[in-house]
Amino acid sequence: MSQPVPRRHSPITWAAITILLLAALVGTLWVPFYARSTPKLGDFPFFYWYQLIWVPIVAVLSWLAYLLINSGRAHRGHRRPSRDDQPGQTS
Amino acid sequence: MSHVNAVSFTILIVLFLVVTLTGFVAGRWRRADDLLQMTEWGLGGRGFGTFVSWFLLGGDLYTAYTFIAVPALIYATGATGFYAVPYTVIVFPIVFVFAPRLWSVCRAHDYITPADFVRGRYGSRGLALAVAVTGILATMPYIALQLVGIQAVLTVMGVGSGSNAFVRDLPLLIAFIVLAAYTYVSGLRAPALTAFIKDLLVYVMVIVAIIYIPTRLGGWSHIFSVSADHLKAVNPKTGKPFGSLVTTPAGEWAYATLALGSALALFMYPHAITGVLATKRRDVIRRNMAILPAYSLVLALVALLGYVALADPAVRAGVKAHGSNTQLSVPLLFEHMFPSWFAGIGYSAIVIGALVPAAIMSIAAANLFTRNIYRDYFKPDASPRHETRVAQAVSLVVKIGALAFALALSKTFSINLQLLGGIWILQTFPAIVAGLYTRWFHRWALVAGWAAAMVYGTIQAYRVPVSGQANSHFGGSTAPVFGHTLYIAVAALVINLVVSVVLTLVLRALRVATGVDETRPDDYLADPEQAPDGVTATAPAARS
Repeated sequence: MSQPVPRRHSPITWAAITILLLAALVGTLWVPFYARSTPKLGDFPFFYWYQLIWVPIVAVLSWLAYLLINSGRAHRGHRRPSRDDQPGQTS
Repeated sequence: MSHVNAVSFTILIVLFLVVTLTGFVAGRWRRADDLLQMTEWGLGGRGFGTFVSWFLLGGDLYTAYTFIAVPALIYATGATGFYAVPYTVIVFPIVFVFAPRLWSVCRAHDYITPADFVRGRYGSRGLALAVAVTGILATMPYIALQLVGIQAVLTVMGVGSGSNAFVRDLPLLIAFIVLAAYTYVSGLRAPALTAFIKDLLVYVMVIVAIIYIPTRLGGWSHIFSVSADHLKAVNPKTGKPFGSLVTTPAGEWAYATLALGSALALFMYPHAITGVLATKRRDVIRRNMAILPAYSLVLALVALLGYVALADPAVRAGVKAHGSNTQLSVPLLFEHMFPSWFAGIGYSAIVIGALVPAAIMSIAAANLFTRNIYRDYFKPDASPRHETRVAQAVSLVVKIGALAFALALSKTFSINLQLLGGIWILQTFPAIVAGLYTRWFHRWALVAGWAAAMVYGTIQAYRVPVSGQANSHFGGSTAPVFGHTLYIAVAALVINLVVSVVLTLVLRALRVATGVDETRPDDYLADPEQAPDGVTATAPAARS
């Protein structure tokens, strides 16, 4: 049975993760900031393209946060999960 | 019966049969030694990796809500409906934070439902019962929404539009019975495997629709300006404009709280938690939070189809002809814009996109009933096989309950079904999420907070009339609180937290017994490689 991996990150790492994740909440929930129709991007009013652009941004932020959380693990010899999704394998 | 397009109908039937077959065969996929174990039937053996989980969670989260309810709201009211986009943006950072802890503790103790965790954490069957009942109750309108979505497609296709009520609902009933049958047989493996087909269809449909249709309607600039004109028109029922292209200052609070409340609520739903617990490793969840936003993009694009439909005179005429049923806007758009074979693919994407989540939802609700009501209160010595049998049967009953919701509530805005569920399910947030971090809250304080919020939320929702109909109920999910219009779920959550904090202080001062906590701090970080094989809660496999 494998050992649970207790993770010890520096406060700076945790602060960075928190900021990454909070950015998405503040950016999309502060409605007065984007409740306007200009400047337009192509034919899209600001209200729409601003919120649409947050979709790729949140994916990148989550990925960065994921990398930060995992950064302490690799050198500890913890087996990185492999591509383990082939159907047919039992678990 | 109006004419039914043979080509579209044939494609829908063929794809439906493919999904049905896949659903039945799914039970043999990653074949389990004994499918009659709860972990196998209800959690797919806890063996899904990043790739499969992406489809399963996507199948969970993007449903008829995405394809029918959100575009319908945008079609009818404009910017307000776009709250679904910030909702599906912020849900991932929120889940990123707490879901891995939930996964770990549930794996360590072989918990199958959120209520299992609450019971173990607080040593309280009562609190677990509250969580279980809320989960089942909130899931039913969400499944009902899937039914409304399927019904919208069938209506546009002209299927089952006879005068006889039985004939009219027959196609929907058949689809539902077939769904119930393969869910019963294959458990969670069925939606996991059929989710592949669903997503393939959905991505094809959305990409084609969003690129092709606007060019035929004069481009996005034209679509936005026509939509703006239509939204400005005054609604004779309310004496106010139908909506606006950008949220008004008065609507900003509602917009933000709808997004926030929906995001906090989403992963409290039993079916979403089921998707999380079915993953193979702790890592899989966080990695998925970075790739699941691909579905948010789809949701945003489908939402914009609401405007595309509004800019199409043929769709406007069609919606009007069907008693202003805005749910029909996207299927009508497909009918008008696509050749019939591709319309058939679009219809299938919506129907299958509703069936997959309905399966997951009914399984999750059945797990809750079996583990936290049946076993805890009626048959404590139930064997795992017996539990699974009960869960299978309950998955059928839940679908009947959903049918009742679909028939009883106003269909003006089907999105209300999901928002109503959200009001209820969000009230389990303090017990579950706070419980992942601290045992500070007292179990009875959490029960009281939950009860107060459930009563408040239900009464507030009951008092909202259907737009333009006096003396009607459950017509909306926002209400004025402290001078702002808020999503009722968020207002109720505040009440819930206040009651929970105050009563915790009181109960702690009175030294009322806090119950036994069977979890340990390490459990919340555990990351075992293997699923516990038939391990019971008393012998957690993760401790080594």
